[in-house]
Amino acid sequence: MKTVKLSVLISALFLLVGFNVNAQNATTILKKMDDVMFSAKDQSATEKIILTDKDGSIRTREATIKQKGNSMRLFRFVKPASQAGISILSLPNDVMYLYMPAFGKVRRISSSVKSQNFAGTDFSYDDMESKPYSEKYTSKLLKTEAGDFVLQLIPKSKRSAYSKIIVTVDKINGYPVKMEFYDRGNKKFKVADYQFKKIGKYWNASVITMTNLKKHHQTKMIMSSVKYDQGLSDEDFTVRKLEQ
Amino acid sequence: MKNLAKLIIKYRIVIVLLTFGLTVWLGYQIKDLKLDADIINSLPNNDSVAVTYKNIGNQFGGNSMGMIILKTDNIFKTSVLENIKQVTDTLQQTDGISTVTSLTNIIDIKKEDGGIDISNLVDPYDLPRTKSKLDSLRARVMSKDMYKGNIVSADGTSTIIMFTLNDGVDKQAVAKIVKEKVKSMHLPEKVYFGGMPMMMDDVAHLMKRDMSTLLPIALIVIMLILFLSFQSARGVILPLLSSAISIIWVLGIMQLLGFNLDLISSNIPIVLLAVGSAYTIHVINRVNEEKGKNRKKALVRALTYITVPVFLSGITTVFGFSSFIFGAYLTMIRNFGIFTSLGTLFAMIIALVFVPALVSLFSVYRRKNTKAKVKKRENTLMGKWFLMPFSRLIAKHPKYIFAGSLLLILVSVIGVFQIKTSVNMVNYFEKTNSTRITEDLMQQKFGGSLPVFVVFKGDMQSPEVLNTMMETEDYMKKYPYVKTTESVADLIKQMNNVMGEGSKIPNSKLKIQQLWFLLEGQDIMPQLVTKNLNEGIIQSRFGSADSKDMENFVTYMNKFITAHSTKDCQISLTGMPSVYVRLNNSLVRSQFTSLGLAILLVIFIVSLVLKSIRKGFYAAVPIIVTIIFLFGFMGYVGIALNVATVLVASIALGMGIDYSIHIITYYYNDFNETMNVERSIKNTMMVSGKAIIINVVSVAAGFLVLLFSHIVPIQDFGLLVALSMVGSGFAALTLLPVILIMDSRKYLKNTN
Repeated sequence: MKTVKLSVLISALFLLVGFNVNAQNATTILKKMDDVMFSAKDQSATEKIILTDKDGSIRTREATIKQKGNSMRLFRFVKPASQAGISILSLPNDVMYLYMPAFGKVRRISSSVKSQNFAGTDFSYDDMESKPYSEKYTSKLLKTEAGDFVLQLIPKSKRSAYSKIIVTVDKINGYPVKMEFYDRGNKKFKVADYQFKKIGKYWNASVITMTNLKKHHQTKMIMSSVKYDQGLSDEDFTVRKLEQ
Repeated sequence: MKNLAKLIIKYRIVIVLLTFGLTVWLGYQIKDLKLDADIINSLPNNDSVAVTYKNIGNQFGGNSMGMIILKTDNIFKTSVLENIKQVTDTLQQTDGISTVTSLTNIIDIKKEDGGIDISNLVDPYDLPRTKSKLDSLRARVMSKDMYKGNIVSADGTSTIIMFTLNDGVDKQAVAKIVKEKVKSMHLPEKVYFGGMPMMMDDVAHLMKRDMSTLLPIALIVIMLILFLSFQSARGVILPLLSSAISIIWVLGIMQLLGFNLDLISSNIPIVLLAVGSAYTIHVINRVNEEKGKNRKKALVRALTYITVPVFLSGITTVFGFSSFIFGAYLTMIRNFGIFTSLGTLFAMIIALVFVPALVSLFSVYRRKNTKAKVKKRENTLMGKWFLMPFSRLIAKHPKYIFAGSLLLILVSVIGVFQIKTSVNMVNYFEKTNSTRITEDLMQQKFGGSLPVFVVFKGDMQSPEVLNTMMETEDYMKKYPYVKTTESVADLIKQMNNVMGEGSKIPNSKLKIQQLWFLLEGQDIMPQLVTKNLNEGIIQSRFGSADSKDMENFVTYMNKFITAHSTKDCQISLTGMPSVYVRLNNSLVRSQFTSLGLAILLVIFIVSLVLKSIRKGFYAAVPIIVTIIFLFGFMGYVGIALNVATVLVASIALGMGIDYSIHIITYYYNDFNETMNVERSIKNTMMVSGKAIIINVVSVAAGFLVLLFSHIVPIQDFGLLVALSMVGSGFAALTLLPVILIMDSRKYLKNTN
């Protein structure tokens, strides 16, 4: 009996070590991905949002984005006309404000919306934020393919809408190629495809296509006029700015 | 006729083999025949209520609503919420389900620290676990009409998980899967299943149970009585065999032509059992009458006589049933007309061709001489103790019997005006049935289960349209059986309030559009407005199963709709109450036009064949009397006209024609020979009367077995069919002979 127990212990130990090596490796890959995605000091861009319904009908929207670091972002719709001026300001610690020009008023948006879809798109508020993945998820390397690593991300927060995300990361450049989102029933329900383009010294996710497999709905976000490191200050991300 | 009879006997082997072959082939088709219990399919495709209702199915994620109720002492417990969430998630992952609404995924719009919060009432990924959080959830639920009495009962002990089905899915199958999945969770709360899809599954289940227990019992009863009457195996097997063959042919052809069985046509086998067996009974009865050394000659003689009346009664019944094809508005009644006529035609042909062929095959040579066994017909039990004294009584007091019948008709007519209609599926179930209990619970705690939709066509973002919607909702809620309403106007109003502009619809379109922006992508939106924003609905539920209440509600709503519908905001009403009201009205209308048409047709055909309009009218008298009596009985006893009982009059019609024709043809045949009223009446009673009584007693007894059914309309149906059999038979054996006696005596008087 004793020997059996000992062998179990030893193999468990090896397994643990093995895990650790794996975890180390996965964490590094994820950290690198975060660096590639979020290393610019600030960024501004125009974003075109194309929504495709299950019957193929298409609606488009346009917005301007300003972002500083990982946690300050101002999202302002410019098209269609009825929504022009609607703006959302995200600040650290999940603080969000909404401005609606027709009312001329600013309202805080509760953090409980995070798992909700953002403005009719297939992205949740959660998906839209630029918090590093390594802060939100624990990672595990599932496999290594020809040009990619495949990671499994498990959310640290119990409030996430996802049970896991399977991310395919480009081996050379470190950016994500594809993310597959699993719901709480562990069923794949959303898939995001990324196209990255190098602008200056940064990799930019110029096209992201998010498909909701359950609703057969698709959102395409296309970035243009991207500018990095223009020296935006905290002053550009205040409630007062939101109202302008 | 003689030649036909000889021909049948000559080719008997071919006929028998052909019939069996055809029966096997058509019987094989039946395996694919489907039962469609969806009541909405019985309205014609171009019916306005049906069109709007089906449209909601297409455009707003399903019009067929199912509910699961969880009941316990207190809903506001983490464990209960976990179970609600588990059921909700399971339903969402079930194929065929379009939307799910429950406490754990319903939208909430609230003001929080001066902020706006549009999210779920309960965060499904972070369920409240502390007492203070659970208490505040309870307070929130009880403060809003959107939740209280809608998703959680006012006493906080029950909650519903509502779901709608995709358009075009097999609702019954989805309901079954839902039940199985939820049952396998073994939840500690009491679980109830309700709504139309669930009911459909239950009815199908009960039907199967009835079929497997009651049908064999009914058959045994019928066989027993047939055996007692004919005292031969042949007398039992042949009538049942010929009905069975005609039933198999009809069902097989239905499948071949691509029809489904529905709530009404599923009764075709029962109707054919009653109507179809009569033809064979008359044929056998006649064959038994013709005794003689040469069986072959006797058979030819019997057929030569009986072919005409059986053919005549058969063809008249076929025309009678076919009046349902032209007189009916409802598709299911029309289909019933088509296939019952066809089945009757088959039953008649089988009785006239197949039965004699089979009889000659088995008995012509084998049973050489049965004379020793033959008793004189006056000495049989039925003859001595019933038919003889009865015919004497009729011949003696025709006027009393006539007056008595008139009185009965008068009393019945009063009852006819009290007849109620009810097509509501809830009334199908006995009070102790779990589906019925669920429906009662839905009515008590959640304002009912029947979906109501008010459809608005117009610019859904215009303040005018949204204000009209709000007005409509307020008006609806003033009606006693409407507790909750839901629309996009409600959501916009709540959001406007959160923006600090008061609980009302904003006065500018731009404001509405911007509030709308925040609602986009919410699961509830496709249930309330179409994507291109030109159509929206108010969803509600109706809390009474009474037809009268539904009719009043539809009238109440239509008054408002006519007053408020404009070109820019067209309003229309649909939902189950509207469907039921439409069905109810069409059921009554269909019934009376079809029956009226059928009776006219019967008079016409009988007049034509007997070459006497007078005789045509005589034939119709017992039928009319029986039908009036039946409706009168239903009125007095309170049995409602529904999808099953609506057929009873047609059975009375089918049977009545047979009885009348047999009595009339036999009587005049005899009378023209003897010119002796008393003798002809006695002979008619002894032969035709006997066959009628056998038919009445066997079929009536068989149908009384249906009283043990688990489905209420089937119980009523069994009772009424038995009653209509007895009624038709009784009228044919009393009122009709009395009329014939009076007619002949007048004739004799005139000729003398």
